[in-house]
Amino acid sequence: MSAVISLSNAGKLFGGRQVLQGVSAEIGDAEFVSILGPSGCGKSTLLRLIAGLVPFEEGSIRFGGAEVTAPTADMGFVFQTSNLLPWRNVRDNLLLGVDLDPAARRPDEAAIAALVETLGLTGFEASYPGELSGGMRHRVAIGQALARGPRVLLMDEPFGALDALTRDRLNMELLRIWQRDRKTVLLVTHSISEAVLLSDRVLVMSERPGTIIEDVRIDLPRPRDPSATREDPAFGDYVVRLSKLMGVS
Amino acid sequence: MSRIVNRDTAISAGFFLLLGLAWEYGVRASGIASYLLPPPSAILGELWQSRGPILSQSLVTLTEVFWGFLIAVALGVPIAALIHFSRTAKSTVYPLFVALQSIPKIGLAPLIVVWFGYGLASKLIMAFLFAFFPIIIATLGGLASTPAHLEEHFRALRATPMQAFWRLRLPAALPSFLDGCKVAMPLAVIGAVVGEFVGSNDGLGNLILTASGSGHTTLTFAALIAVTILSLLLFYGVAYWERFIWWRAA
Repeated sequence: MSAVISLSNAGKLFGGRQVLQGVSAEIGDAEFVSILGPSGCGKSTLLRLIAGLVPFEEGSIRFGGAEVTAPTADMGFVFQTSNLLPWRNVRDNLLLGVDLDPAARRPDEAAIAALVETLGLTGFEASYPGELSGGMRHRVAIGQALARGPRVLLMDEPFGALDALTRDRLNMELLRIWQRDRKTVLLVTHSISEAVLLSDRVLVMSERPGTIIEDVRIDLPRPRDPSATREDPAFGDYVVRLSKLMGVS
Repeated sequence: MSRIVNRDTAISAGFFLLLGLAWEYGVRASGIASYLLPPPSAILGELWQSRGPILSQSLVTLTEVFWGFLIAVALGVPIAALIHFSRTAKSTVYPLFVALQSIPKIGLAPLIVVWFGYGLASKLIMAFLFAFFPIIIATLGGLASTPAHLEEHFRALRATPMQAFWRLRLPAALPSFLDGCKVAMPLAVIGAVVGEFVGSNDGLGNLILTASGSGHTTLTFAALIAVTILSLLLFYGVAYWERFIWWRAA
């Protein structure tokens, strides 16, 4: 497995304060990796460093062999808030990233229809974000990141604001898309069970200044399922182990 | 839904009808001289009788307001954008306009007439002066209201600064801008009428002045009603555009 993203000793200072320190990790192609950490540990900042949204002072971050200096079209970022433009309908929001990038390949009608179908948004193409539920808005946001056909999806607690049921459902859709398209997913979360349920690997971060203190491989069978996977005794063991690492319990 | 609307409309109409009747019979019963306070029936009669001059004078005022308002938008929006995007402009142009705004514009009217004469130009400038500042303030507020998380989102999508302006900041600023226009439009009417008061041979302000000067109180009232209707029509003409920026509530 070749590394798509590699971090070596990356560090970030905000106004003289060390936020991230000595972060090293390798993310393989088509891997589903979660970054788990207590709030305020800098995990969202780390994701922005990888995306090229925030400059950093120490170490290096490489994507596909090249140093990251600015956002690239090959990485799709899904934010905590669904970030849709209220004056664009679902279809136009899905295509926003494509519209803004003259170099992007515009998906044909069949591809757009397939994307809408995958996201369970059929019949809502002409609806505006104000008319959608929170869960649907997040689906559009994921679709917008997918529409440009990126190799990597970077997700910053994308479902944090949703209820547990909607969250499980969207997580399963995410897993389905990931398994079908074999994309690399890097997910930031503070939910231990979410990280275990979805990931191949969980990178556990320390309190500020954040660094990766443990790289836990999750060997649970796939495809996973919110109820069946959670009943697996091994699931509970992983949750306990990660809780201890995070200083809970 | 439509039943409730009908009921509200009926209550509203009834209220104003009652108010008009109270005025009509109050004036008649108390014997107030009609050159002091004419009854509504006399004012309505005057409106009909003098409809020719009232319409033509309304057209004069409308022209002044229209151009004054248009220029206020045409200059106000780019100046607001300049203040928003340039720190230098924020510390030079912005305080200058705040200071100019503090000058009572009614006091400027005689000077404007001296400078620009009795014609369209001086009234247009008065309408402009009244409308200009609210448009700058509202546009500034709109430009500042772009959510930071959307700006970051546009950076992640590698949008150019121009794209971010046209596709994000501008539409995000529109609701606030339109609110500014709704405030500025009636102010532009006031500005034009003030200009006509101070130095003009025509317009509704001039009509009010000459009518009251010659003791023609019913015509004064009729002209006042014409100004009010003109102002309302222009206001709703601006408010009409709200349907095209339906996202203001989202």
